[in-house]
Amino acid sequence: MYNHIKEIVTAAQTTKKTISELIIEQECKISGLPRNIIWNKMKYNLSTMQAAVERGQADQGVFSKTGLTGGEAVKIKNYRLHNRTLSGDIMMSAVQNAVATNEVNAAMGIICATPTAGSSGTLPGVLFMLKDRLNLSEEQMIRFLFTAGGIGMVIANKAEIAGATGGCQAEVGSASAMGAGAAVEIAGGTAQQSSTAVAIALSNLLGLVCDPIAGLVEVPCVKRNAIGAANALIAADMALAGCTSTIPADECIEAMKEVGHSMPESLRETGLGGLAGTPTGIAIKTKIFGKDA
Amino acid sequence: MAGNYRSVFDIIGPVMIGPSSSHTAGAVAIGQEGNKLFNGVPKKVTVHYYGSFAQTHRGHGTDYAIAAGILGFDTDDKRVPKAPEIAKQQGIDIRFVEEDGPSPINHPNTAILDMSDDNKYIQLSGCSIGGGAIEIRNIKMYGSNIKPEGPLPIVLYIDKQKRHENGIPVTSFLEKNAPFSVKKVYETASYFIYEYDIKNYIQDSLVKELTQKFKSIICL
Repeated sequence: MYNHIKEIVTAAQTTKKTISELIIEQECKISGLPRNIIWNKMKYNLSTMQAAVERGQADQGVFSKTGLTGGEAVKIKNYRLHNRTLSGDIMMSAVQNAVATNEVNAAMGIICATPTAGSSGTLPGVLFMLKDRLNLSEEQMIRFLFTAGGIGMVIANKAEIAGATGGCQAEVGSASAMGAGAAVEIAGGTAQQSSTAVAIALSNLLGLVCDPIAGLVEVPCVKRNAIGAANALIAADMALAGCTSTIPADECIEAMKEVGHSMPESLRETGLGGLAGTPTGIAIKTKIFGKDA
Repeated sequence: MAGNYRSVFDIIGPVMIGPSSSHTAGAVAIGQEGNKLFNGVPKKVTVHYYGSFAQTHRGHGTDYAIAAGILGFDTDDKRVPKAPEIAKQQGIDIRFVEEDGPSPINHPNTAILDMSDDNKYIQLSGCSIGGGAIEIRNIKMYGSNIKPEGPLPIVLYIDKQKRHENGIPVTSFLEKNAPFSVKKVYETASYFIYEYDIKNYIQDSLVKELTQKFKSIICL
């Protein structure tokens, strides 16, 4: 099993294989399952993601039980339709897909955790935007997910992917790094460039706290996936442009772990600090769960 | 915690009902392990929450998730949000307690399940480590206190005859088909309990073979 991003890059360079291919081979070896079963499992996960993206932006959109989130993917969709966006139509399509997925999640719909449910919008945000932008085939989209998953495995095993242990940087930060590395591969970049994109994406979200209002995966989670997707695309573009990261990806992962462990508990998914602890955040919690909550 | 994620589908997955992979999907998984350990649905379950679970279980649907797991539902089963009502209809008493102190198994996402019926009492201490993955760090059954390393799969073999030779074929079968990193034997007044911490995930077909081949084997 690959324990470091550097090992993946070296293996890709020596075998002349893509990261996605290496991760498929790793999965076959560890699980003992044949390639077609693994491939089809990923295909099913892809179709789950597609369904969530579509559901979140159909008609009026979806709304959570609390009413805290919902309908904003549709707002972005309509805005794109009638306005000249500031950051570009294609960037806003990534944001729209990311928000749509997390709105479905907050509404207790079916999603695919990538790597977590709270950060489940980031990867589809990037992927379905690239689908249109680069005219991706289904095979390429499935490969994107294997590459992203392989990068995520290293992060999860070396650091963590739970907001309760590492803050939001471990969730949306990890998702963004996974998306950045996979976007580079699908755009034709090298494994080294994927590694650089991982490093840039992770660095840019280092220190992000997990502060859900009333402990709900709604505010700020839904919108944080917008930034996760956008950040992934920016990091991937920078890596493809030949920009480098001073700190290698593996050391960024170590730093993320260390930052997570030095975060106070109030900022690690307890719903106490950060935005959750603001007067508005507390008022919403009281309104939903009553005074004793 | 290194090496807990041994499949790409731990990261791209699970397919689940929202809103939280650790507090919902992971909670379903803890409930499911409770169901497997109890060998069915217990009559009475008290769930003790610690840390982030105690603070945010209501917002994350952790209650319905654990209830769903106890009933044996999967993470993407549409009945997950309705699990508490379904449990109630089946006459199962599930209660949730927010504990103040630190987690006895040292993790912020901890749930301890006290499960009982007329004949037995079993306690399972699990934690949700992120992305839907869980660890089982403590099991109390038949008067024994089992302390696995944490990561799944864990295989338990309960030798009710308490004969040393009974464990030998189990161990050699596992050595051949599902290599383990740790093997421990616990002795209680009337049983030997063997614990095997398995290195890689095992397929359903192997679990089936194991349970058919050996009586009173539990695959967590």
